[in-house]
Amino acid sequence: MLQLKNLSRIYQSNEVETVALDQVNIDIEKGEFVAIMGPSGCGKSTLLSIIGMLDKASDGQYIFDDEDVSGYSEAQLSQIRKHHIGFIFQSFNLIDELTVEENIELALLYHNIPADERKQKVAKVMDKVGIAHRAQHMPSQLSGGQQQRVAVARAVVGNQSMILADEPTGNLDSAHGQEVMEMLQALNEEGTTIVMVTHSPSHADYAHRTINLFDGHVVTQSIRQAS
Amino acid sequence: MLKNYLLTAWRNIIKNGMFSAINILGLALGLMSCILITLFVREETGYDKWLPDSERVVRMHSAYINPGSQPFLTVRSAGNMMEAVRDYATNEVEQGVRLIQFGASVIQKQDVTAERITFVDPAFFNVFDLPFVYGSKETSFKKPLDLVITEEMAIKYFGKTDVVGQTLTVCCAGPEPSELTVTGVIKDLPKATHLNLDLVIFVLPSIIENNPGLSSWTSVNVYTYFKMREGVSIDEFQQRLTYWVDNESPLSEGLEPGRKVSHNMKHKLMPLEDLHLHAKKDAGNLGDLSPLGDASMINAFSVIAGLILLIACINFMNLATARASQRAREVAMRKVLGASRQQVTIQFLGEAIALVFISLLVALVLVELVLPIYNQALDSELELALFSDPTLLIAIIVIGLVVGLGAGIYPAVYLSRFLPGHILKSNKSTESGRTSGFRTFLVVFQFTASISLVICTVVIYAQTHFAQFVDVGYNSDNKMVLAINRARDKRESLRQELLNLPEIKSVVFSSEAPTQDNENNSFFTLLGSSQSDDASTNQMSNQGQLLNLHNMDYGFFEAYDVAPIAGRLFDQKFGSDEVTSVETGQHAGAASAVLNQSALAKLGFNSAQEAIGRTVAANIRGQQHFKIVGVIPDIYFRSIKFGVRPTIYMLNPQRLNVASISFNTNNPAQLRTQIEQVWKKHVPMQPINLQFLDSMMAAQYNDERIQTRLFSAFSILAILIACLGLYGLAAFTTERRTKEIGIRKVMGARVRDIVGLLIWQFSKPVLIANLVAWPIASFAMIGWLENFSYRINPLWLIPICLAVGTLLLLIAWATVGTNAASVARANPINALRQD
Repeated sequence: MLQLKNLSRIYQSNEVETVALDQVNIDIEKGEFVAIMGPSGCGKSTLLSIIGMLDKASDGQYIFDDEDVSGYSEAQLSQIRKHHIGFIFQSFNLIDELTVEENIELALLYHNIPADERKQKVAKVMDKVGIAHRAQHMPSQLSGGQQQRVAVARAVVGNQSMILADEPTGNLDSAHGQEVMEMLQALNEEGTTIVMVTHSPSHADYAHRTINLFDGHVVTQSIRQAS
Repeated sequence: MLKNYLLTAWRNIIKNGMFSAINILGLALGLMSCILITLFVREETGYDKWLPDSERVVRMHSAYINPGSQPFLTVRSAGNMMEAVRDYATNEVEQGVRLIQFGASVIQKQDVTAERITFVDPAFFNVFDLPFVYGSKETSFKKPLDLVITEEMAIKYFGKTDVVGQTLTVCCAGPEPSELTVTGVIKDLPKATHLNLDLVIFVLPSIIENNPGLSSWTSVNVYTYFKMREGVSIDEFQQRLTYWVDNESPLSEGLEPGRKVSHNMKHKLMPLEDLHLHAKKDAGNLGDLSPLGDASMINAFSVIAGLILLIACINFMNLATARASQRAREVAMRKVLGASRQQVTIQFLGEAIALVFISLLVALVLVELVLPIYNQALDSELELALFSDPTLLIAIIVIGLVVGLGAGIYPAVYLSRFLPGHILKSNKSTESGRTSGFRTFLVVFQFTASISLVICTVVIYAQTHFAQFVDVGYNSDNKMVLAINRARDKRESLRQELLNLPEIKSVVFSSEAPTQDNENNSFFTLLGSSQSDDASTNQMSNQGQLLNLHNMDYGFFEAYDVAPIAGRLFDQKFGSDEVTSVETGQHAGAASAVLNQSALAKLGFNSAQEAIGRTVAANIRGQQHFKIVGVIPDIYFRSIKFGVRPTIYMLNPQRLNVASISFNTNNPAQLRTQIEQVWKKHVPMQPINLQFLDSMMAAQYNDERIQTRLFSAFSILAILIACLGLYGLAAFTTERRTKEIGIRKVMGARVRDIVGLLIWQFSKPVLIANLVAWPIASFAMIGWLENFSYRINPLWLIPICLAVGTLLLLIAWATVGTNAASVARANPINALRQD
């Protein structure tokens, strides 16, 4: 699915250089469920942003679906992103002014899909994440778990082949957290590649493989033993 | 997609009620001002353009250049010019027509009604192709005295419009009324024309032949129009006209070699479409057929409209970018979901345009509400005919789009620039120092514009006030002015009977009353002095000096409380003051004259006393010698805008046109009725023309008064809009600083300190704006004041600038302070707990 070769990301501000990622090499196969762990400030979120094409590497190669996208323009990246990658955030990032249904539909709006087809897809995905009864509610009227389910629905409604989740359970209690993890697992079993940043070792156990980062380096990669 | 944009936009408008209200109100007020000014400008610039072939019609204006004097300018021309030019410049001219207007009275049974009658050449309707309701341009002017009237006149005198063949009894020029046959009825003219026609009569050739004042090459009494042939430019025609005047016209005959007619007398062509706005500079003080517009006023108000709109747009830009962080997450999420920057830009631009169109609807309602007052202030009949006038509708839609794009483009570009990676990761502020700096710059701009407008308003007000209340040099209280030019033979009997009314103190005659200008100028030669006869005065004396000439009867100066600074006023007991006619070949006549102070210098006198007893010669009713018996101070007979001319006053009973009636009553209306009764008894065939002098004097400053009113209204609007924006910006900034304010309070800051802190933040831009606005406004106003010969001291600008600056600063403090105080009073713990 994707390969990162000698990838670095350096932030520069006011003559202070911060190396967020240093010569990182990572391969992720199609259909894999990968967890990324590490202490705060180790570069997890930066890595996820680069994989999600929201940020660009300072150096190194990024090969996505056998294409080197390192030199791609913002517009080209946006095209790949919208067709292949879904995002889930710790803080949900739903748009406050739109209803649940409209928030999910937003992901299809930039895809040139006719309105009735959009409606069908949205209805289907709402059923799937169990939020259909809340379709006309505003995000502020939902619990955190429900909001995150809407976010998941939004991430997958466009049939994205890869989902990037940045601490998806960070703002949730354990019961809701588990619910979301099970939903991700189910998606993975249907063939969606999942890359997840997490602090929770128990949630990392859902993944096939865990990558540990420390100070911008990949320290260890552990493969979960089939239980 | 569009639905989604609209939804987001609509819910944002609702959610941020206060900001939306500020934006909509500000934009609506801005658009309202702009629409009101557009209506006015459109009417003023549309004069006469609706007339068929208007682009081919020109009018000939005249100017006499007298070295050492103000030139005599007029939009009229000499009666003989039209036919001669038309027959000479056949390649350029298709048709020519003259026009002259008189007062007339229409007599119906016992009623006498004052009307205006226009005498024209038969080709009139070939040049001005006005639409006929009955009759036609081919059939209407078959013979002299054929009468064409407007629908309004037809209804007034016949009760219907189908009146071809009926007769109207009209009395004009001579004492005997004539029966005139109506041969055509034309549609009423719209306001947007300089022509001012009610009754149009075809008689001009015969009138001109019999009237030496009209059949002249130099005496300028008629309005002359030419319709040029297609494809001829006004420059070509003007060149040909000037060539003819200088080389082939009767004017050029007998001139010394090397001298040209055009050195002293200009014949200038002006396009019909320019007349309303540009004829003022050629019109001198005698005016035109209808009140003239003012191109500089149109320009000034166009600039004001633009400024006010810009101020409103800046409100929108500032509030939109200040609140950008609130929408940053939405932008980021849309981008994550695949929106391109372009799509986000279009979304926000669309929102801006939508908001502007909501404001536009509010503005249109406001315009309808304000229009009656506006019309009253402007003395006009503007209307907002959106549906019957598609160009207006299009213009307003275009204004909406331009404002929407203008206000929306910067926030849209700014918001769409956000990079999703940064925003979604953290709730970091998206604000950069550069943006808030740019916002401050925009606030400075807004207040610079507002402060400049207010300074201009105050200066215009001060000058107008000054002009109206300046000491004109005579007592204008409790006076009425009665026109007697068409009842000259009855004036003594009128005077006697009027003096019988106990309220009337005096009745004095003159050629003009104050405010009535003339261009009656003659050359006066100072005759050899009895005492000192040095060469230089002699030489100057021989040339003759052009003086403005006013005629009066005994008692005029006394009635106006004008006292001589040397010598005496006219007095019957000397028996030698009056001008009497002198036949050619006889000895020069002897009469007396009074000078004003300005005339002293012109004639070469060093003091008033020196002039007394000297004699000037002139050709007035034959060769005359005038002994200077008195000198009076300079008095402002006309608007102080035009200054004082060197003037000579004499007693010429043939030239008395008006009576000045001094009265003393508590009931002027009743006295007026009594005077009207006296008039009707003595002059039954003529309508009365009686005016109060104070209203005549006030009317001189009508233009300035309208300008002052409009300037005041629009500068108040500009301040209001700018303050709305400042309030919104302050409210928002305060909201963002609640945490800081909380910490400061915990550290021991008092409410006063906090309010001071917040107020200071917004005082800086207003202070800077003052420093920018003062020189700009002062420069503009010093230029404007130069239009007036008598003007307020430009040093007044210093206190005005300081006062306006302080006022605006106080207004800004009040705007910011109310909000700051409520925030500063809040319990700091609430602010610190929220996160």
